[in-house]
Amino acid sequence: MAASTSYETFIGLEIHIQLLTETKIFCGCKSKFGDKPNSNVCPVCLGYPGVLPALNEHAVELSYKVCRAMNCDLAKEGMFERKNYFYPDLTKNYQISQFEKPFGRNGYFEYESGGGIKRIRFHEIHLEEDAGKMIHQGGRSFCDYNRAGTCLLEIVTEPEFKEPQEAEDFLQAFRRTVRHLGVCDGNMEEGSLRCDANISINTPGAGLGVKTEVKNLNSSRFVKKALQYERRRQEKVLKSGGKIIQETRLWDEDKSVTESMRTKEEAHDYRYFPEPDLPPFRPDQAFFDMIEKSQIELPLARKQRLTEDYGLTPDQADYIVEEKAAADYFEAVVALGADAKTAAKWIMGNVAKELNRIDLSKADLGTEKCALSAERLTKLLGMLADNKIHGKIAAQTLAAIFNEDKDPEVIVKEQGWDSSADEGDLEKIVQQILDENPRVVEQIRGGDQKPRGFVVGKVMKATQGTANPQSVQSIIGKLIG
Amino acid sequence: MEKDDLLITAAQAQLALSAEEAGRLETAVSEMLDYFEMMNEVDVSNLPPTTHALVRENALREDNPNPNNNQEDLVNRAPENEDNFIVIPNVL
Ligand SMILES: [Zn+2]
Repeated sequence: MAASTSYETFIGLEIHIQLLTETKIFCGCKSKFGDKPNSNVCPVCLGYPGVLPALNEHAVELSYKVCRAMNCDLAKEGMFERKNYFYPDLTKNYQISQFEKPFGRNGYFEYESGGGIKRIRFHEIHLEEDAGKMIHQGGRSFCDYNRAGTCLLEIVTEPEFKEPQEAEDFLQAFRRTVRHLGVCDGNMEEGSLRCDANISINTPGAGLGVKTEVKNLNSSRFVKKALQYERRRQEKVLKSGGKIIQETRLWDEDKSVTESMRTKEEAHDYRYFPEPDLPPFRPDQAFFDMIEKSQIELPLARKQRLTEDYGLTPDQADYIVEEKAAADYFEAVVALGADAKTAAKWIMGNVAKELNRIDLSKADLGTEKCALSAERLTKLLGMLADNKIHGKIAAQTLAAIFNEDKDPEVIVKEQGWDSSADEGDLEKIVQQILDENPRVVEQIRGGDQKPRGFVVGKVMKATQGTANPQSVQSIIGKLIG
Repeated sequence: MEKDDLLITAAQAQLALSAEEAGRLETAVSEMLDYFEMMNEVDVSNLPPTTHALVRENALREDNPNPNNNQEDLVNRAPENEDNFIVIPNVL
């Protein structure tokens, strides 16, 4: 990418992830996307006077799980504060969040970018309640509080990305990681993973410049595009002798520009104070042990292991590790005895095509939705390796597994696709076709290789496609010499 | 209390103060703050901060949905609603 800039760039991200809990953070309302407006509300999340919040245990566990995976110092005491602001997306006029004692501090995360491994540090990770959604139309605003009070985890990076590309690469790796951890579905379009970016530029060595914050970034690609635009804009301002104004800007994807929100930028005064309705959370050793136990091999480490242990190409490993289900599936198939490289090739190729055909994805591998269990793929690849079937038949069998939900050996038997049992029969068939076509035999003897294809075609037709073309070729060679 | 602080506080609380009200409150709020100032005289340097007077243990709730059947009632309590949305004057 063109690094035409004579400035140093500082980019930070503020990420919010919706935790995959059944219920909201402080009440028993369901935490669900897409329900009828205000169907998952109660006096607590509507901010009625006199109600008491009660902290969701699972939300706390998932938060610590993320903090641990992001190498944070885990809070021995976590606390909640009221963050006061007046906007009707929350009815209480404050958001319960964490300020003095967030669950995680001083973390870091490693991700691939520009052909190497880079590290980004986190300032802090804290748990808070999400706000409701509003639609503004005509003279009125329509409020839906289904999302109000759902569990939201905020992750703030240090402003240490040097390039917009790094921010995008990080975001993709981060998204993959929270999906592997099972704490968030990572859907940026639906807003279960949201990202704001801040950027400043300055003459090299002078430290952070005046930053702007960019919002409305609904995909990791937008993050990069918006940051590239915003960096160019800031450069132009500085080069023409102007000053950057600290402000919030919105990314307009249609116009591919950032635009000032023109809000009054009185420095926010949220007047944080400790939430008197929630006691501090002081986990015991058993809790920390449980968090430690819940840790999994993260996607980057897993990708490295798949390439090193199984000899997969980086592309193959990347494809498989993109979804935890696919990675688990791949390793199950290998554990059952399949050749790792062949399995990877099939998962990326024929299996992907079949999944696509029936509207599944690799995230469904190994689940009930997917008829191709690890055992079935292993058996199929085993039959292929033993030359019981050849590639084209294997592909047909694969499709049949999905269509009929049967074991591959049953399908091959029922269809009469087994080609190994009748090597002798195959020779007879080839002989017969050669006998019927003496001119072809002459041509082949005369050194013309083209008619071989004609013979193979005839044999395939006679065997309904079950014959292994390579076997046919070698039989032709044997019979004609 | 400085008048500017009062006006900023009022703005954050979405209160429109007339000049007369602001003048009156300036004195009144200052007196209240002076009264609370007494608390700052207590020496708390050796005490850990407390957020809650009663509960000292972790108070957690299991992640189980709590069937709640009064959503309709709650929406109907709003001054205006439409298609299950709670409707308010445009705040954008
Ligand atoms: Zn609720």
